[in-house]
Amino acid sequence: MIGSDVVIEHVGKSFGAFRALDDVSIGIGKGEFFSLLGPSGCGKTTLLRIIAGFEQPESGAVLLDGVNVLPEPPNTRRVNTVFQNYALFPHLSVFENVAFSLRLAKAPDATVRDRVGHYLRLVELEAHADKKPAQLSGGQKQRVAIARALINEPSVLLLDEPLSALDAKLRQHMLIELDAIHDKIGITFIYVTHDQQEALSVSDRIAVMNGGQVLQVGTPQEIYEAPATDFVAKFIGETNLYEGTIRSVSGQMAELDTAEFGTVYVTDDDPPPAGTRVSWTVRPEKIRIDLERPSSVRGGLNLLSGLVDEPIYSGFQTKFYVRTDQGATLKVIKQHADWSDEGPRIRWKDSVWLSYSAEDAFLVEVKR
Amino acid sequence: MKRSIFSKAVFAGTIVFLFLPLAVLVFYSFNESKSGSWGGFSLRWYLKLFTDSPDLWRAFGNSAIIALGSAAVATAIGTLGAIGVNWYRFRLRSYLRTVTFLPMILPEIIIGVSLLVFFSGLGIRLGLFTVFVAHVSFNLPFVFLLVLARLEEFDFSIIEAARDLGATEAQTLARVILPMIMPGIVSGFLTAVTLSLEDFVITFFVTGPGATTLPLYVYSAIRFGISPVINALSVVMILGTVALTWSMRNFLKYIAAK
Amino acid sequence: MKQGPGGLYAAPSILWLSVFFVAPLLIIVAYSFLTQGQRGGVEWKPTLDAYKAIANPTFLTVTVNTIVVALGATLVTILIALPCGYHMARSKRQNLLLLLVIIPFWTNFLIRIYAWIAILGNEGFLNDLLRFLGLTDEPLRFLYNRWAVGLVLVYTYLPYAILPLFSTIDKFDFSLLEAARDLGATKLKAITRVLLPNIRGGVFTAFLFTFIPIFGAYAVPLLVGGTESYMLGNLIADELTKSRNWPLAAAISLVITLVTTVGVMLLLRAGGTATLGSGGAGTKEPEEGAALPAQSVASAEGEPA
Repeated sequence: MIGSDVVIEHVGKSFGAFRALDDVSIGIGKGEFFSLLGPSGCGKTTLLRIIAGFEQPESGAVLLDGVNVLPEPPNTRRVNTVFQNYALFPHLSVFENVAFSLRLAKAPDATVRDRVGHYLRLVELEAHADKKPAQLSGGQKQRVAIARALINEPSVLLLDEPLSALDAKLRQHMLIELDAIHDKIGITFIYVTHDQQEALSVSDRIAVMNGGQVLQVGTPQEIYEAPATDFVAKFIGETNLYEGTIRSVSGQMAELDTAEFGTVYVTDDDPPPAGTRVSWTVRPEKIRIDLERPSSVRGGLNLLSGLVDEPIYSGFQTKFYVRTDQGATLKVIKQHADWSDEGPRIRWKDSVWLSYSAEDAFLVEVKR
Repeated sequence: MKRSIFSKAVFAGTIVFLFLPLAVLVFYSFNESKSGSWGGFSLRWYLKLFTDSPDLWRAFGNSAIIALGSAAVATAIGTLGAIGVNWYRFRLRSYLRTVTFLPMILPEIIIGVSLLVFFSGLGIRLGLFTVFVAHVSFNLPFVFLLVLARLEEFDFSIIEAARDLGATEAQTLARVILPMIMPGIVSGFLTAVTLSLEDFVITFFVTGPGATTLPLYVYSAIRFGISPVINALSVVMILGTVALTWSMRNFLKYIAAK
Repeated sequence: MKQGPGGLYAAPSILWLSVFFVAPLLIIVAYSFLTQGQRGGVEWKPTLDAYKAIANPTFLTVTVNTIVVALGATLVTILIALPCGYHMARSKRQNLLLLLVIIPFWTNFLIRIYAWIAILGNEGFLNDLLRFLGLTDEPLRFLYNRWAVGLVLVYTYLPYAILPLFSTIDKFDFSLLEAARDLGATKLKAITRVLLPNIRGGVFTAFLFTFIPIFGAYAVPLLVGGTESYMLGNLIADELTKSRNWPLAAAISLVITLVTTVGVMLLLRAGGTATLGSGGAGTKEPEEGAALPAQSVASAEGEPA
């Protein structure tokens, strides 16, 4: 099977007064594992349904390998969908569910047996071929839905929150399997999810959406390390996000005046001129937390002292809410290492030192 | 918490109350004497029922035709209506929902009277045809609601999945929707048959010469001189309904399991 | 909900019900404002004669009688049905008990009425029994009065009340009663203050499913009632077939329709928030009960015994 590239051009869609998609344009490469990530109501599912053919946009085009597919009904598009609630046919066995589209095409029995067998093996369900959907576990239903969607050999597979009905452990497991299936068959996957962990761990690239718009398209690293907007910074992972005004710029480093922490050193590829109002962020795991004042303080290091307001211990790490001397709160995550690590010994109301390098603090948005 | 003795006593009394008339019917059906008092055990009324009651069997035949025919038509129309209402938005949707709800809140006599007035206003001769039409009309909402209840268990994404996998609208209907809701359709049909066999009031108003159904026959037997044959008929009908219901429920289980 | 071929699917239903259900009801409305025809039917001259005729004392007596009988029978039915439903809901053998309640109603409606005639008649079972026991010489007259009508109506509609009450009580969380007892309520207080408010919806449904058919009763008062227990349903039939006053029959029908619909709406509003959820104009509850008259099949599907 060969994947298609999918180009979404200026797609707009409204439901009554609600603007579900606002001039959305995305290019997705052949064979890519591409995620549409955003909170519920951000338009990601609507976009997926437009690609599948269940919704028609008011404007724009959806090109599969350069051909606009919007005039085609869903039953003729080379695109298949794995539905959020699986949408298995309750009256048909696992085998017949997977065989459904072959039966419609009146494929000969031998072909049906071969092809269905192949895909049931792919999702490791050969042993359950004769069961009814009601007799399957959530994860098994999910795999039937995947096999059923793949049997037509689509060039694009659309997955609509396929793991949301599974419990956390199973979700991890299915995520790995999905990735393996993607690697094996090599077609384009478009994956809709509201779970940033899922998106970060399997995607080649991610489009972060909110309010019907695409805020940022990039690799998981780009999106995590260099969020384009405040929303992306807050939605992906945990972060500390504040505002400030640029006092001076030298090369890629900028010095900010902030109300919460006084002077802050941050970096940016191309910092805006002095006097600009900006938002900036530093990830909690990039901040060091120590009981003693760090001995060497080089240039561009942000150093603060404060009190531990709330330590949240979770085994392999501890998250601290630290109230700095200036009265603002910073989130800090400390990964625990070997026995000599002092992290677990930091307690509630301890006074601590926080330090982070300017290279780990970024400008996000220019404010007006 | 302890089970209440009071509610238990009321329930037991109620069951006795509910079964008492049936017991009396069984008792009298084996009574040799024609009048109320006991004249010894006899099967003569059963004999008369099966060998010498042509009118009764004609009425039974009418009932069967009307019941099966009206149930079939009501099921076909009502099932499609329920599919439309459950998944799609269209003009007159809330009108249909309201109209199918009406028979639940209108006494039967109103339906019977209005149909009678309607038929005579149009100059349609009362008979089997008018009875048939009336039965379809009051059966349809019941089938509609039963099938709708079944449909509500399914998400529209099932339809989208079928379309996504290449099915046309007609193929989706034949291969996915209808098989999926078959238990609801069968129970709708059987309910309609039962309702139709049971109906007296509406039939009473819209019937005409030659269209006597079994309930109408029983009615005239009560009004114009009770023959103990009715006792025997009652017992046979009770047994028949029990047997029928029993096989229907096994049939339904079979369908549901398939 | 989607745009799609819904209208196509629904068209036969809409057409059939419009022609054979809604149109006849509208004709009734129209007839009630027309002049009585010579031999049945109507003349197309608008008049309020029918409504003037309604105001006569006979009609009022029958109306009052109908209301008294309907309310009385409904009340008795629900008072019997409540403890029954409670007992069934608490029982471990629910399916068996359900079957016990339903089986008598697999018998034809008229045969059930007939059975009561066989019990209560002058030569009936009860008089036989009394004579046999030497308690009476002359047969006592049990039939053809208001009490006989009430009895048979209660008998006929009892399951219509028991089934919805059972299904509501069955969904009730009985640990709430224990909580009430724990907080100091007596057993009776626990039931009136905690159980009853929570099963309000079921009581409303039971009331509707009993009151409506009883209010429009025709066959029962005709067969076991006397002149004094005449109900509106009988009056309609008489006007239609004997007096041949169709406008009056139509007007009485309208009154019945009006009373029941207004009753339903009031009840839905009173019980509305608690019982109907988002299901829209009272759809949820009656749907549940919709299968009632056909208990056999509907329950056969849902309740494997």
